[in-house]
Order: sequence, then C-alpha cells, then structure tokens
Amino acid sequence: MPKVTINNEEIEVDDGTTVMEAAAQLGYDIPHFCYHPALSIPANCRMCLVEVEDNPDLQPSCHMPVNDGMEVHTESERVVKARKSVLEFILVNHPVDCPICDQAGECKLQDYYMAYDAQESRLRTEKVDGVKVYPLGPEVVYDGERCILCTRCVRFCEEITETDELTTAQRGDHTEIRTFPGQELDNNYSMCTVDICPVGALTARDFRFKCRVWLMNTTDSVCTGCSQGCNIHLDHFRNEVQRYRPRYNPDVNDYWMCDPGRYTYKEVHQDRLEDPMVGDNVVNWHAATQAYVSTMDEALDTFEPSERAMVLSPQVSCEGLHQARRFADEVLETDRLYMGGKPGGESDDLLMNADKNPNRRGIEYVFGGLEAVDSFESLVDAMEAGEIRVLHMMNKHIPTTDDALRARFVDAVADLDLFVLQAMHRGEMVFPPDHRGDFPAADLDDPTLVELADIALPSSSHAEQDGTFVNEDGIAQPFSQSFKPLYNSQPDWQIFGRLGDEMGHSLSYRRLADLREEMFGDAEDDAKPKTLDDKQSKSRAPADAATQPTPAE
Amino acid sequence: MGEVNVKTLKQKDRTFWEQTYVTEFIKGLGVTMKHFFTNLSPNKEDRDTRTVEYPDEPRDYPDRYRGRHRLMVRDDGQVRCVACMCCSTICPADCIHIEAAEHDDPSIEKYPETFVIDQLRCIACGMCVEACPCDAIRMDSGVHVSAFEDREESFHDRETLMDLGGQSMAEQGGDHIPSPN
Repeated sequence: MPKVTINNEEIEVDDGTTVMEAAAQLGYDIPHFCYHPALSIPANCRMCLVEVEDNPDLQPSCHMPVNDGMEVHTESERVVKARKSVLEFILVNHPVDCPICDQAGECKLQDYYMAYDAQESRLRTEKVDGVKVYPLGPEVVYDGERCILCTRCVRFCEEITETDELTTAQRGDHTEIRTFPGQELDNNYSMCTVDICPVGALTARDFRFKCRVWLMNTTDSVCTGCSQGCNIHLDHFRNEVQRYRPRYNPDVNDYWMCDPGRYTYKEVHQDRLEDPMVGDNVVNWHAATQAYVSTMDEALDTFEPSERAMVLSPQVSCEGLHQARRFADEVLETDRLYMGGKPGGESDDLLMNADKNPNRRGIEYVFGGLEAVDSFESLVDAMEAGEIRVLHMMNKHIPTTDDALRARFVDAVADLDLFVLQAMHRGEMVFPPDHRGDFPAADLDDPTLVELADIALPSSSHAEQDGTFVNEDGIAQPFSQSFKPLYNSQPDWQIFGRLGDEMGHSLSYRRLADLREEMFGDAEDDAKPKTLDDKQSKSRAPADAATQPTPAE
Repeated sequence: MGEVNVKTLKQKDRTFWEQTYVTEFIKGLGVTMKHFFTNLSPNKEDRDTRTVEYPDEPRDYPDRYRGRHRLMVRDDGQVRCVACMCCSTICPADCIHIEAAEHDDPSIEKYPETFVIDQLRCIACGMCVEACPCDAIRMDSGVHVSAFEDREESFHDRETLMDLGGQSMAEQGGDHIPSPN
C-alpha cells in the first residue's frame, strides 16, 4: 500500500486511490467542479490542480493516482495562484447573473470565487452570449452562459441512466450542452442533473424561481414516493415543502432519486383534510374524540369483534402502525386487518419500485409478517357479504386502479354502521398523478369517502412528524419533523393514543422515544429489520462518507 | 496655596426711571410688537419665523429622507426589479413579500409577479435599498407614508410602488465592458 505525504501529513492508502481521495481522508477538501464520486473522471475543469514534488507541472488531483513516497501540496502558493487563474478563465464568459440564478447560495463557483479569486474582471472585450432558458427536457432548463462545461450531466446520462441524451455541441467558447437531435432529456432521473450541476446552468422547471436557497431550512427525511425509501433533504420555507433533494446513502439510493419521487412533496400540501369532522360538521379535536367515544362504545356493545375491521396504511410510519396494532388489539379487539395504501405503478431497474408505498415492510415488521393482514379485495368481499359493520380506515388511498372495485368499495362503505376515516387528504387522489405530481382536479373535488365517514380525523404527513419507514430491503430509516402539523392535523400515533386513552385504554406515550423503545426494543431478533440496530449510522451518516470527497452541488 | 488676586466689582446703581420699570416695559413691548407685526405680513418671505403650516403646507424633507418606497422602471416602463429577494432577505421587519415568475422575454428571465410591502411593518431602515443589486427599489421619493384607515391600505403592491418610480441611470444588468480604469 502506497504511503503519500499530503501537506506534510503522511497517510497510507489503498492502491489506485487518487490524490483527491487521499486528501479527503486527511480532511483536505480540494476544490473541484467536474469530479463527482459516482461518475467517471474526465479531469477537464482543472480546478483541482495540486503541486506534486519533483514534478514540474501541476497535476489534476482527481485523476492522479498516488504513488509511494509522493509528496503533495494542496494549498501552496503555486496551487492557490493556479486556482485563481482557472477561476478567472471560467468567469471570462460567465454572465455573473447571481441575483436571478437559482443556484446562488449553493453555487460552487460562487464559493470558490470568494475563497480564491475575489477580483474584478480584467476582461476588456464583450462576453460571448450563450443561450438562455433553453429547455433540455420537460423538467430541466439550460443556461448556456452559466455553464462551465464540466460535463457532469453528460456523464450522468451516459453512466447512471445509460440513456445518452446529452452531449456537448460546437467548439471553443461556443460549446454548449445539447440533446442529440430528435431527443430530449426526458428520463426518470433527469432532475439529478440539476443536483449535480455545480453552477446554475441546469435548473429544475419545478423549483425555478420558487424560493431562494438561503431562505430554506433543511431536514433529513425519506421520500414517500415508493418502497425504495430514498434518503432526501427536505427543503422547506415557512411551513411549506419547497423541494426534495437526494441525500447520499450508499445502501439505498447512492446520490440519486427519481423525478416522480421528487414530485411527491406536493401531496403534503395538496387537498388536505384540515379539521376533524363529525358527519358534515367541522368540529375541534375534543368534540371529535367525544363523538368517537360515544359512537364506538355503542358499536362495540352492538357488534361482535369479527364485525369490526381496520384498514392499515403502508403510507404511515412504523410508530403510527405500532399504535394501530395496539388500537386494533386493545380497543377494537379485532384481528380483521386489511391492507390499504396506493396501488402499484411504474418501476425501473435503478431506483423506482412498483410498490408506491414507503412502509409496507414496516407493516410486516410491526405485525410480525403479512399473514395477519388480508388483501383489500377480501375486505370488499367481506363488506358486501355484510360481515363487517364497523370500519376504521387509515388514509383514504384505495390500493387498486380498478374502477369497478373502487365503486364496490364506496357502495359497501355507505352500508356500514360506523365508518371512521383517519386521513391526510380530502379528495380521492386517484393514482397515478400526472408526471408533475399533480392530481386531476376532478379527483380532488370528489370527497366521497370523507362525506361518507361518520367521523373523519385529519392526520399529518411525514414532513410534520418524526417517524420511521422500513424500505423494501428491510432498512429502517428514521425521518425528522420539518415543521409543526399543518392545519388541525395530528400524527397518526398521537391520534390513536388520544382515541385509546378516551376509550379507557392507556395508549398514549409522552414521548416518541418511549414508543420507539417499546416497538424496537422488545422485538425478537429475527423479526427485526436487518439494520435497525445501526439505523442511525446507516441513514444519517454513511460510514465512508468522510473518506470520499464531497460532491460539489 | 498661592496668592489670589481678588478684584472687587461695584454693581452699577439703577437710575430712578429704571427703578420705575416704565421705559423698559415699553422697550420690551416694542420688540414683541415688532415681531408680531412682521409675522402678520402676507408675504412669507418677510416673516422672520420658520413655522410650517403643517399639514396645510408640505414640509421640506432632507435629501436623504427615507420616504415611501418606489420601484424603479426600465426604459420601456416595465418593473426594473429582477426578484432576487435580496431586499426581503435583509429586511429586519420581514415586510417585503415577493413572488417571482418567469418572464416571456428570455433576456429578462425573472421578474416579480407580486411585490408587496407592508408599510405598517416597515421600520424605514433603508436596508432594502442598500441590498438591491440593480437599483430597483429606492426610498428617495420624498413622500412620507400616510396614515391608514384600513389594514389593507398598508399593503403597497407592485403598481402602487411603481407609480412613484422613475428610471435609473445605472445600466440594467450592469456594465458588461468596464472602463479602462
């Protein structure tokens, strides 16, 4: 194993390690634009030049493998001067339109300019005009003047999605990123190019001009778009989710996430059920709870346990499901459990899964397997046969795209003696939504299930609570609360606690940590999702994150 | 302690007429009457007081008085602001609300679809003017914010702010070719 000295510190690294990676292991962040740990190395930006002793030329550290006995200087006078020159060169035709650039605030060019260049332009000639607001595809807009031609986006489409839409066109200072003739940048991961663009050349159509990045707060969260459970940065401003960005996790999603997943943030704000409702009346939580207690007490006396049922939602966190299990056991005293959630959808080989629910494995974990949970079809059959009189339903997603089954379910709900709905949304939200995550207005205006519900209780989204999702591979991933519950909603685990307490069963927890300890602490080892023990280290800080250069975003 | 020179002054004795106060009283009244009649003059220039008949006549504000905001306009009358949000970011009273949108003209690209200043919240600190990178917002209108009868009136929208606007001498988007010095 070669030993290398970087800034007079010696380190022993594996064969084939580049100078930049070795420096990262010592904690030196070498500035770079074109290098990205998940992509190939073209060494074309020249920003990462370092001084190697006994070598007359400066070397690109992202490309240079270490040799035994190599002595490298990353902050010497020559290197800093070279960086200044490279930046001046890059800025020759850069429009410096930071005030209207979405990247301003998270722009590497801005950061490096402040750190290494910080001089006025010495250029005496007119800048070369590039193309502005050029749509590369439905989601991505290109700005040729801001582009520094690092070709990260080109390599992403070649190496990660393998769709090969992008290339560089023309020569010299007229070079720009273009799609091949007749093609457009329209794959399921096109917005990842916006993330990896180190400057503001690629901007997302959805986020464009929506919010300045320095105004937003960021919470570590998990995408709810499918069972992959991609780790995300949830960027929010004034109690509103502005965008999702992928968060590095080598076990789940690497640096990427899909476009449909990004658009699921819209569900947090679209068509929410705002207040508890008893029949058609909007009430407060106290009145709704009282109404629940009186009607449910009566129903429990009237109907046998086998006539009561609960629909579980794989959209809900493990904490909510744990409470649902206790609620079904202790309050409803029923073992008739059915699977709700969204119907399946599109999938691909990279990240998108057909199961559009983030926590199906969570149900499996909390209920000790899926044997205890019956399918939605059997629920409709049982309801039509009159076997079920009382139904407590979590979330109003109907896990089918079959309109006939939906209609049968809605008809059967109308015949129930007591129907309690605990849901985030008012409308039907028939899946799938369009490619921007918007639901057809007709579906939103159709609050059938809420109207049929004797009691409707508003629950919170994943952005408004702490929780845990178990993804398809059984990795339990905690997510954090971004802002307080919107409107009058409450997290599912608190709703069950409140209802259970009022029904005379002690179901509430003062802290979520107590619930988590009960849920994860006393589980048998083989039933545990495989990474529950080290879930903190898995999803928050990947073990090898420190040894890899941070990708400039 | 050194020797101190003490000078003894003798107070001047008042004369008889002074002791009666009659002449001094008439002299004093004379001064008062002079000012009184001078300031009754219909010609304001001749008066020797600086009283401003506020609010019947406007008060002169100093050149750098921070009055009502105005949004500057481009040569073609469109709003000069590019919705960079620097002013609303720096605003300590959080009184500026901007919603940006895409402009049809790609050379403008971004413009404020809505631009509302809550004048009840504004503390007239002038930070928005200093933060603006393109001389789009100013407080040099010389007009003070008038009283409101309704809270809605305090929300000055883009058109209200542009009514006071004018054109800036600075080139929109900055000078591309810097002068040789």
